[in-house]
Amino acid sequence: MSAVAQPILRVEDLHIWFDLAGGGELHAVQGVTFELKPGERMGLVGESGCGKTTTILGIMGLLPPSASIAGRIELEGEEILAKGEESIAPHRWNDIAMVFQGAMNAFNPVQRIGDQIAEPMELHGTATGKTAKAQVRELLELVGIAGSRADRYPHEFSGGMRQRAAIALALACQPKVLLADEPTTALDVMVQAQILELLLRLTRDLGLSLILVTHDLPVVAQLCDRAAVMYAGEIVEMGDTQTLYHDPRHPYTRMLFAATPDLLGDDDVLSIPGAPPRLDHEIVGCPFQPRCDSAFEPCPTVHPRRIELGAGREAMCHLNDPTATEAVS
Amino acid sequence: MIKRVLFALVTVWVAITLNFLLFRTLPGNAVSALYVEDLAHGNLGNSLTTEGPVWDEIKPALKNTLPMIMLGTGFSIIFGILAGVIASWRRGTWVDRGNMWVSLAFYSMPPQWLGLMLFFFVATAVGLPQSGLSSPDLGVLSEPSFAAYWSDRLQHMILPALTLGLVLYGDYTLIVRSAMLETLGEDYVLTARAKGLSNWSIVWKHGLRNALLPIVTLVALSLGFIIGGTFTIEYVFSYPGVGYETVQAIDRRDYPVLQGIFLLLTMSVILFNLIADLLYFKLDPRVTS
Amino acid sequence: MSLDQPLQSAEGLELGTTPEDAAGLGSGRRPSFIRQAVITQPQAIVGLAVLGFFVLVALVGPALLSQDPKTKVGPVFGHPSAEWPLGLDGGGANMIPLLIAGARVSLEVGFLAALVAMFIGGSVGLASGFFGGRIDTVLMRFTDYILVIPDIPLMVMAAALFGRSLRNIIIIIGIIYWTSTARLIRAQVLSVRERVYVKRSRSLGAGNNRLIFKHILPQVAPLLIANMVLMVALAIFAETFIAFLGLGDPSAISWGKLIENAFTDHAVLNDAWWAILWPGVCVTLVILACTMVGQSMEDALNPRLRVGHLSVNRFRVRVLPRKPPKP
Repeated sequence: MSAVAQPILRVEDLHIWFDLAGGGELHAVQGVTFELKPGERMGLVGESGCGKTTTILGIMGLLPPSASIAGRIELEGEEILAKGEESIAPHRWNDIAMVFQGAMNAFNPVQRIGDQIAEPMELHGTATGKTAKAQVRELLELVGIAGSRADRYPHEFSGGMRQRAAIALALACQPKVLLADEPTTALDVMVQAQILELLLRLTRDLGLSLILVTHDLPVVAQLCDRAAVMYAGEIVEMGDTQTLYHDPRHPYTRMLFAATPDLLGDDDVLSIPGAPPRLDHEIVGCPFQPRCDSAFEPCPTVHPRRIELGAGREAMCHLNDPTATEAVS
Repeated sequence: MIKRVLFALVTVWVAITLNFLLFRTLPGNAVSALYVEDLAHGNLGNSLTTEGPVWDEIKPALKNTLPMIMLGTGFSIIFGILAGVIASWRRGTWVDRGNMWVSLAFYSMPPQWLGLMLFFFVATAVGLPQSGLSSPDLGVLSEPSFAAYWSDRLQHMILPALTLGLVLYGDYTLIVRSAMLETLGEDYVLTARAKGLSNWSIVWKHGLRNALLPIVTLVALSLGFIIGGTFTIEYVFSYPGVGYETVQAIDRRDYPVLQGIFLLLTMSVILFNLIADLLYFKLDPRVTS
Repeated sequence: MSLDQPLQSAEGLELGTTPEDAAGLGSGRRPSFIRQAVITQPQAIVGLAVLGFFVLVALVGPALLSQDPKTKVGPVFGHPSAEWPLGLDGGGANMIPLLIAGARVSLEVGFLAALVAMFIGGSVGLASGFFGGRIDTVLMRFTDYILVIPDIPLMVMAAALFGRSLRNIIIIIGIIYWTSTARLIRAQVLSVRERVYVKRSRSLGAGNNRLIFKHILPQVAPLLIANMVLMVALAIFAETFIAFLGLGDPSAISWGKLIENAFTDHAVLNDAWWAILWPGVCVTLVILACTMVGQSMEDALNPRLRVGHLSVNRFRVRVLPRKPPKP
């Protein structure tokens, strides 16, 4: 195995804005940059509303007409964002697929599950008719559902099974990258564990790369090699999961992990006092400063730089910036 | 007179209740069945004016009204669905807005007025007959051919049917559009888009298919009330259907006939309620009983 | 929706970066639902304007008339001309004063009938939703039975029997159309009843009266008003129906009656389209306006304006200028 693998997905300086009904814009994603290596499992963590779901929707090109996007998205070295829908559409589901948040409703209630999984196959020409049916069964078995259930309707599946079916659906056209948006929310702990196991197994056996979006830290700790922490539309810290937990370099990361005393399957509510900032106007200084317990002189006025800390780690905080800390002392 | 009125209303009430119970309980309730059967076998009483069975009064009227209604509602359902789906798909564009205004306008027009306006400005231009069931001079010289007779009937039917169709079109477009918008906001539409389906496919396969559930229910329910709604249309065009007959009966104070018609109308409502339920059962796999 | 509200709602729920949030749909708050309705759907303004115009005519118009509108001023079915811009009716009377008088009667009937329907429907809905249990079941069953009866035939027959006065017509229309209001209000009451502050109030020992009038009614009132506006449209529609079949009040001039008069005076044979067109236009406009306003109000109160996932347009790609690296 080559030590330096070409990243399979590369996102550079991604910005996403939404038009607001009364005029003005919401700057939902502000300069997100990261790389995903083949076979890697990366977590995208943060409070609700920090822009993580929007980011992956942007990568899929599934934004509404009120949105505008800027930046680079490279899939296996090929730029796919340049022409918007036109350039992204051919890769959708074929190369990058998504498991949606609330997979409960991701299925059409009046169509059989099997037909819905076969649909993209036939659409993208990977398989038709009997072959498609056979492949559907295989997929279902792969995610741990009896193949005979392909003829059932979504409401006949339990929540956990529907989640698995959603994963099967995402795998229908054998993508290389899987984007999973809160796949374990609204599932009970036992089922959660099973789904996470499944994702782990799939990425290993099929060589899939995974981006897991969640606000649930234990999930990230369990499944992901690396994680990026998002706040107010930006990645504030990124690195491998263990180091992030043991040695966080951004106060937000630290406070996040501290709010989760027991990492072993503990259901919890993140509670850092205060609220995330509004994103409809430009933020001066560090966006986390109002809630930060370690804020110092430069924080309210100067936006922190992205500092590389070596070994794939980075943090966006003045505390890590030698020039800033020096200036103060 | 008041005694007769009370008696009529009470009978109707009993009939309604029985009908209701009949459809809700298991078949085999012999007593109710007999009673209703009696009622159905023309024990509707005798007309005050003709002294003959009420059913003889109603039957021909029904035979006239039904094709007219079918023509009108067929038109309105087809165009209503088309317009509603397209409007929801192209939400916010001028197609949508224009259609909304037009539908609302038709929906707001009193049917008799619309009928008269159509008559004034369309019929005379095109040369359609103004009233009645068929031209009185048709059968004068010789027995009219089947084609000629029905063509004539059709010409007389068009205006009332069109009036009905336009008024209903307004209503149905709004219903369809509303149902479609609700459906198009569902998560599985996003999934479909993610899977790579074309907008066209999504609208018809995922959107309409699901929107059909509330649409079918609402349309079927409205159909139950349609015969009542054609009163003024038939009156305006002197079209001898159930509505026309009702107005005549009211004028003549012919209570048995009214009672019979009323029973008929109520049963039509109940019938269509049932049809709506059955259709929903067929269309929605989530409903099992 | 408006930017002067915090993006975080009172319960601490985030409102951040999803398209839905940008569209301004957070947890329900109603600054002023009328203002909301107007902002989100500008056609409500048009509706209000039209409605306002007719209400004005109805209130002020008849006082400005110098003589009985039915006075003959020219030939039967006189053509529209400079002197009589809207023509003359089957009795030679000027259409304009007739329409003005008609405005008052039609709007009066519409408004009062809607009031009756709202009162009955509101009470039933309130009682049903608030007390629940047996009362709810009984009332709803009753409503179901009423719903099965075809509305127009019943109305027509009731009008035939009792209809000859305006007062009776108002009552009849109100009695037939209260059911949809009842259902709507009941649903709303049920949801309000479960809200925290109501439960808290109840646990503090508040009596039913207090709960209803101080807590529930204010929440239900806007919906009631929106529904009533729609009811007015329905009532005017119904009155037109009744009048056309000759069952209305013979002494009252309503727009519906005007159409009926023209019809029975053989306007068709005389090709006197103006005698029928203008009253109908008035009715249509008022019903249209009421429907638009009422609908926008209801939409503002129950925003089902979800973000649709399907659109003709696409998201846009921007090219950013190369920004200088952050200091």
